[in-house]
Amino acid sequence: MEIHVSGAVEGLLDEVVVRRLISFAGAIAGPIHVKNGKSQLLEKLAGYNQAASIAPWIVVVDLDQDEECAPLFRHRWLPTKSDLMLFRIAVREVESWLIADRERLAKFLSVPVSDVPVACESLGNPKQIMIDLASRSRRRDIRTDMVPRSGSGRHEGPAYTSRLIEFVIRGDLWRPHIAATNCRSLDSCLARLKGLVGSS
Amino acid sequence: MRKRGGVSSLRCLAARRYSEVAIRVRVGDDDNEAEWEYELRLNQDRLRRPSIRREFVAHNGKEILVRPDSKDKKDPERLTQTYLEQVHANQQFRDLATFLTTIRYLHIVPQLVREPDRSIGRVNDPYGGDFLEQLARTPDKTRNARLRSISEALKVAVPQLKELELARDVRGSPHLRGKYEHWRPQGAWQTEVEFSDGTLRLLGLLWALLDKTGPLLLEEPELSLHPDVLRYIPQMFARIQRRTGRQVVVSTHSTDLLNDKGIGLDEVLLLIPSAEGTEVCLANSFREIVELLKGGISLADAVVPRTRPHRAEQLALFGS
Repeated sequence: MEIHVSGAVEGLLDEVVVRRLISFAGAIAGPIHVKNGKSQLLEKLAGYNQAASIAPWIVVVDLDQDEECAPLFRHRWLPTKSDLMLFRIAVREVESWLIADRERLAKFLSVPVSDVPVACESLGNPKQIMIDLASRSRRRDIRTDMVPRSGSGRHEGPAYTSRLIEFVIRGDLWRPHIAATNCRSLDSCLARLKGLVGSS
Repeated sequence: MRKRGGVSSLRCLAARRYSEVAIRVRVGDDDNEAEWEYELRLNQDRLRRPSIRREFVAHNGKEILVRPDSKDKKDPERLTQTYLEQVHANQQFRDLATFLTTIRYLHIVPQLVREPDRSIGRVNDPYGGDFLEQLARTPDKTRNARLRSISEALKVAVPQLKELELARDVRGSPHLRGKYEHWRPQGAWQTEVEFSDGTLRLLGLLWALLDKTGPLLLEEPELSLHPDVLRYIPQMFARIQRRTGRQVVVSTHSTDLLNDKGIGLDEVLLLIPSAEGTEVCLANSFREIVELLKGGISLADAVVPRTRPHRAEQLALFGS
């Protein structure tokens, strides 16, 4: 039987990651609610939790610099969780989950593998690490797309998101199961997602 | 000027009497931002014809042309024509003149695409009146390649659309045909008459982007499009721009467009209405906007309130 999993995420990159994880777990992605940032997502959490009383749901948020550990964060925002709700926290940002597939990310960004950090979950600011990596890319198009121009006043380049979306959706690049061996929050998210799909 | 109804209708509404209309252009690249400079100031003569008050061209900071010159003073009739538009007068700045003719303005009105009879005789109509003719004029190979990559991109927004092609009807008029897939194995062909407004607008936008010519001016590309499609448009522009070097200038009210985190504060111009006319300001000239962004507020939330018409709340009282 086909299992449909709905979801809610912070942004466009998180959306494609969640879609990829859902299909990796053997289910079909239903509607994914893409919010504009964490606060908007958390505001609506009670609604998603209500919907998860009748069908499987996954909500992924970035831990960012908020709390010391993910369980505390989870408890604060969703003390009573519906049976079919999967509330997962990326430590510290979804970029960590992409950095965790070191070989493929290095290939995609055209940087030496040794430059990609091993301990992806202990990075204070994974997005900044991703941009630093891109700035060392041998490919000019990667640098232009991902690294912010000086004077732009922004933290990311004009096509940063679209480049990482490409990394996630092109079948021959990001491997969730390999990344999971290197990243605890992704590993437990995948395991719980498979469990949710198996029990539904 | 004629199309827009002469100098008096182009003048700033808030301006005092007899104000001039001025256009100043700087053309260059990242290394040399002002390779060319052009300025045109206009007013009208006693017969209400547009008359040049100043025409100025400089190349790398060196003056090439300053009008009115002594000949203009002797024969004021000359001031009804710019040197820019005359091939025998613009040899020294032909590159600039040619570049300015490559600027395209696009604001597809789906109904005009569907009913080309309304726009007979128009060439390069920004509203899409001769859009199908433009497609037909493009060499077959280029057109088919572009339609293939457009239908690939459109699949995201219109998943049932599988193929796009240009076909002529019995009278020889060109039509866009799209193959929509459904439960019947052969699917169904539909033409631009049946395409939705959003499909037609997105199609026109993608076609224009693939045209690797001069700067492209787009008016509110958000119209008729699903917000989830819109969110990807700034990223799409950025990638195409990197590849083709084509400058894209967009006017918008859309928060979905402005929420993109890759849009630089130095590339957003706010049009702020005031009693003295509309003021155009760079977003990064407001310290408050810079601070709001640092505090995690999105670009849309930071800039849109500043462009709101004064007294917009009065609309709540309409009809009472």
